[in-house]
Amino acid sequence: MPVFPSVEWFDAIKNIVNQDPEFRALGTVDSVIGVKVGGKIYELIFEAFECTNVREATDNDLRDMDFWLEQPYDKWQDMIENIKRNGKAGLSHTLNTLDLSMPEGLARSHDGYRRDAFYRFNQSIQDFFNASAKIDTQFAAAEAVTA
Amino acid sequence: MADITTIPDHLRAKAQEKGWPDDVVQQALATGASADQIIGYMNQGVTAEQARQFLAAQAGGGPEPSDALKAKAADASWPLDLVKRALAMGAAENDLINFMDMGVTAEQAQQFIEQGGGGGASFQVDLSWMDVPTEWNTRAKPTKHGLTLEAINIGKYGDIPDIWPYQTEMPRGAVPIPGVEGMGYSIFEKQEVWSDACAKLYEEAIQRRWRPATDVPWTSIEPLPDDLERAICQICTHISEKEQLEADVLGRWEPEISYGYHEVKLYLATTIFENARAVEVFRKRALSNGGGLGVQSSGWAFRSIVDARNFTEMVAIQMVLHDSLTLGQYAFGEKFARNPAEKFIFAHCLQDKARHLSYGVSHLKYVLLHRPERREEIQRYLDKGEGMLVQDDKKDPSTRESFAMYFAGGKDKIADGLQVYDAMRKTALGQYLARLKWATLDRSQRLQPGLKAYLGS
Repeated sequence: MPVFPSVEWFDAIKNIVNQDPEFRALGTVDSVIGVKVGGKIYELIFEAFECTNVREATDNDLRDMDFWLEQPYDKWQDMIENIKRNGKAGLSHTLNTLDLSMPEGLARSHDGYRRDAFYRFNQSIQDFFNASAKIDTQFAAAEAVTA
Repeated sequence: MADITTIPDHLRAKAQEKGWPDDVVQQALATGASADQIIGYMNQGVTAEQARQFLAAQAGGGPEPSDALKAKAADASWPLDLVKRALAMGAAENDLINFMDMGVTAEQAQQFIEQGGGGGASFQVDLSWMDVPTEWNTRAKPTKHGLTLEAINIGKYGDIPDIWPYQTEMPRGAVPIPGVEGMGYSIFEKQEVWSDACAKLYEEAIQRRWRPATDVPWTSIEPLPDDLERAICQICTHISEKEQLEADVLGRWEPEISYGYHEVKLYLATTIFENARAVEVFRKRALSNGGGLGVQSSGWAFRSIVDARNFTEMVAIQMVLHDSLTLGQYAFGEKFARNPAEKFIFAHCLQDKARHLSYGVSHLKYVLLHRPERREEIQRYLDKGEGMLVQDDKKDPSTRESFAMYFAGGKDKIADGLQVYDAMRKTALGQYLARLKWATLDRSQRLQPGLKAYLGS
C-alpha cells in the first residue's frame, strides 16, 4: 500500500492516469507542478497527454515550477480521504475550492503568469488527484512528514 | 468541311511554333475566327488536337452514334446532331445514356456543350503553378502533442517577419502573384498582435474543448429557493452578456490582422468559440431550472472594450483587465457552486478564461519588450479601462448583489456575501497586478483608487 506522501504514491497515481482514456480526453497538459507536504516536496511533470515524471525535489526547485500546491498535512489527509469516500473530490474539496479557502492559497508560485497553469489545467490536475480514489493510501506519521 | 483558306505569315509562324498543322489552322479560319483570335488560343495553350476536336464538334463531326444511343436519344428528344457533337467532344456513349436517364434535357446539354463541356478547348491545362519557387521537400514530424502548429513552423514557413508586406490573403510561405486585390487588413506589424504563446494556446484550446449540451451534468440541478435561483440567473445573464460582447469585439479584430500572423488569427478564433461556449452554457443554466434571464448590465466597462482604437488597447482592457476579474468570478463561482452542474460550468469556463489571460498577458510582454516606448500608452489604456470598471461597480448593483447572494446562500445573508464579493475582487486584482508585473508593467501605484480599495480590505 503506497504511503502518502512519497514518490511511490505519486507514481501509482501517475500510472493510473496515464492508462486512463478519460484523463487523455481532458486534453493536453504541459506543466511542472510541485506538491509540498510539510518538509517534503515532490515535482510532477506533465507533458502532452500524460504525467511523465515524478521525483522528490527541494525548496530551490520550486522557483522552476509553474506553481506548487501547499497546505498543512492534516488538510492533505482530509482531501485524500474525501476523494476516497466520494470517488472524486466532493464539492467542498476541489483544488480550486481549497485554494480559495486559504489566505495564502493552495496553489502558490513565484511567477504571476506561470501560476495561471493551475487554472488552465485545473480539471486535469483535479483528475490526477481524483485517481487516488482507486488506490488504498497509507498515511505517513505526521512527525515523519514535518521533519 | 472548311474551305481551303490562305494562312497569314504571322499565323503560320505561330502555328509552327505551337505545332498546329496547316489543315487545323485552315479549318479554324474557315469558321470565321481571325488570325489574332487563333493566335490567342495558341497562346492560351490550346493544342492542335484540342482544336481539331472542337472544330469537329462545331461541324457536327465525330464518331457515329450506336443504334442504342440513337434510340435512347429519340426517347429523350435529343436531336441526333447534338448527340454527334457530344461524342465528337469526347463524351462516352454510356455517359450520354446516363444523362438522358437522369432527365438532362437537350437544351441543358446544348448549353453545357456551348460552355466548353467542362473539358473542352476553353479549359486549358496550364501547370505553371507546379514550377513555384516555394521551399519544397518539407517534412514536418508529429510530436508528443501530435502535428502541431509549432511542429510545422520549420524552414521558411517558420520565419515570422516583424513586418508583413502583403495586403492579400496569401498564406505565409506561399509565392505572391501580381494583380491580386487587397483584403483590407490593417495590422502588418508583429509587435501589434504577437504572443510567443499563441501557437501553443491554440493547440491547447483545441485539445481541451468541452461540450455544454452533453458534458454538464444538467440533471444534478435541483430546485433552489427563489432568491438563489434569481441570483444564479442574474449571474448567468451578466456573464452571457459579457462573453458575447468579447466574442463580438474579437470577431471585429480578426479581419484586421494580416495573414503573416496566422497563429494569432487561429488562436483568437478559438477564443471567440470559447466566448460563445460561455454564452451558451450560462444561458442554458438560466433557462434550465424554473428561472429565466435577469436585467442587463449597465455597460460602462463594455464601452472601454468596444471603443478600443488599436489591438493592444483592446487586449489590455479585455484580455488582461476584464478577464482577470471574470476569472475571479469563475473561480469563486466554482467554490460556491450549489450543485455538480454549476461546479462543472464554472470550473471549465475557468480553464478557458485562463488561456485568454495567458494570451493577453504574454502579448503585453511581447509589445513591451519590442516597443518599450509603448509602456505609458498601455498604462493609459488601463487607466481608462479601470475607470470605466469602477463606474460599473457603482452603477450596477445587480452583478455585485447576485454574486453576494449566491456566495452566502440567500438574500437574508447578503451582508456576508458582500464580504465574499470583496474578497473575490481582492483576489482577482492581486492576480491582475501579478500578471502585469510578469509582463514588466508595474501598476501597483497606479491602480484606479476605486479598485485599490479592494486590496486594502
